[in-house]
Amino acid sequence: MGTVGLTLHWEDRISTAASQGGRRVEPPETAARETRETNALSEDAAVAAGCLAGDLRAYERLYHLQGARMRNLARNLLGSPSDAEDAVQDTFLKVQRNIQSFRGQSAFVTWVFRILVNTCYDARRSRMRRKEQQPDDSEQAMPRREPRAPEAHPSLRMALERALGQLTRHQRDVFLLYEVEGFRHAEIAGMLEISETASKNTLFQAKKNLRGMLEPPRGAQAGVR
Amino acid sequence: MNISCNDRERIFLDGSAEEWAALEQHAAACPACAEEIRAWKALSTAAGELREYRADAALWAKIEQSLKEKEQRPRGWDRFWERLRLGGGLSLGWQTALAGALVLALAVWGVYVARYRTPAGTGQSRLLKNSALAEVERTEHDYMQAIDKLATEAKPELDSPSSPLMASYKEKLLVLDSAIGELRTEAGRNPSNAHLRYELLAMYQEKQQTLEDVLETKR
Repeated sequence: MGTVGLTLHWEDRISTAASQGGRRVEPPETAARETRETNALSEDAAVAAGCLAGDLRAYERLYHLQGARMRNLARNLLGSPSDAEDAVQDTFLKVQRNIQSFRGQSAFVTWVFRILVNTCYDARRSRMRRKEQQPDDSEQAMPRREPRAPEAHPSLRMALERALGQLTRHQRDVFLLYEVEGFRHAEIAGMLEISETASKNTLFQAKKNLRGMLEPPRGAQAGVR
Repeated sequence: MNISCNDRERIFLDGSAEEWAALEQHAAACPACAEEIRAWKALSTAAGELREYRADAALWAKIEQSLKEKEQRPRGWDRFWERLRLGGGLSLGWQTALAGALVLALAVWGVYVARYRTPAGTGQSRLLKNSALAEVERTEHDYMQAIDKLATEAKPELDSPSSPLMASYKEKLLVLDSAIGELRTEAGRNPSNAHLRYELLAMYQEKQQTLEDVLETKR
């Protein structure tokens, strides 16, 4: 399982994606990129070692490097900023509690995001259980409204969120991790404990389904030549 | 590179940068492929709408506070309170295990307090009275049964570990079982030794927590 590049700052990843016109193709190795990834790996290892030693500054560094991305992923999985914050906080506590079981088989950040994804699904399950137990509480049952970023396109975002809700759990996870958070298939494979090929296939299916929901193919024009 | 419409989906699935370039070149003369590429790329662009990265110092402050609190608390207790707080949604297995742990802890604590508060106990304060011993053994037995239920739930995952993390849990449980076995033998030879019972309780709690972690990871 490849684990490189996980601790790159998100700005780097997004600019890479943007430079390719909205399509992500994992680029060939270059000397500069290799150096950057080596640095990222050293940082990942240093953060892991610090956390293992119980150094709070290492946790702070982890938050500085990945906190925004963790919160964004949790918000997209849970649909609520406050639930997302709880999930991130819970993830940090689980990392602290289980750090001794991290053996370095994957990058530390892969391990942390795996915990985050599981924490989000646990939170969804308990939220659903609570709703089942309080069916008459209309205020609890109402999904909380999502404050939007000022630059976000409201209708596109809402349509996409609705369409994502129709995907399978795995398709949604892979789409969010790849297209939104900028992880590579090798990294996603490590987080979701699937193969890299399965991650690629799932993304392909997710995008095909989303396309069908958001923009049905134009039958007459979409034929194969 | 020769690319036709038939290569389009394959390239969408797993195309290299060169293949994408060739497909785009092909699309310049193929409206169908041009439209498909546009729609495909539009999804990636739209995904950007779901990206809101904002630094939040307040969240870190909360996390830091809870990390510090956890660091200062004995390991088993936070788990206990966390589970107790979510008690309404716990399965019967969890609830039984928790109830067993609580009863056992209270029984041991009760005996401990009774021994230390009784002047007659000064010389043999680490020894359990016969009646208390019977109660401890009974609750210990119940607690063990509750943990066995958890172990049965986790067994399929532990029999064929699907990840290195799971393999390490399996390894840890083997070590714990071996330690529990030794302590039980020791406690069998010296049943009134409260210290041994405490050690045994700590081992059971560790086993319970590890099994909970296994089940949590499995989900």
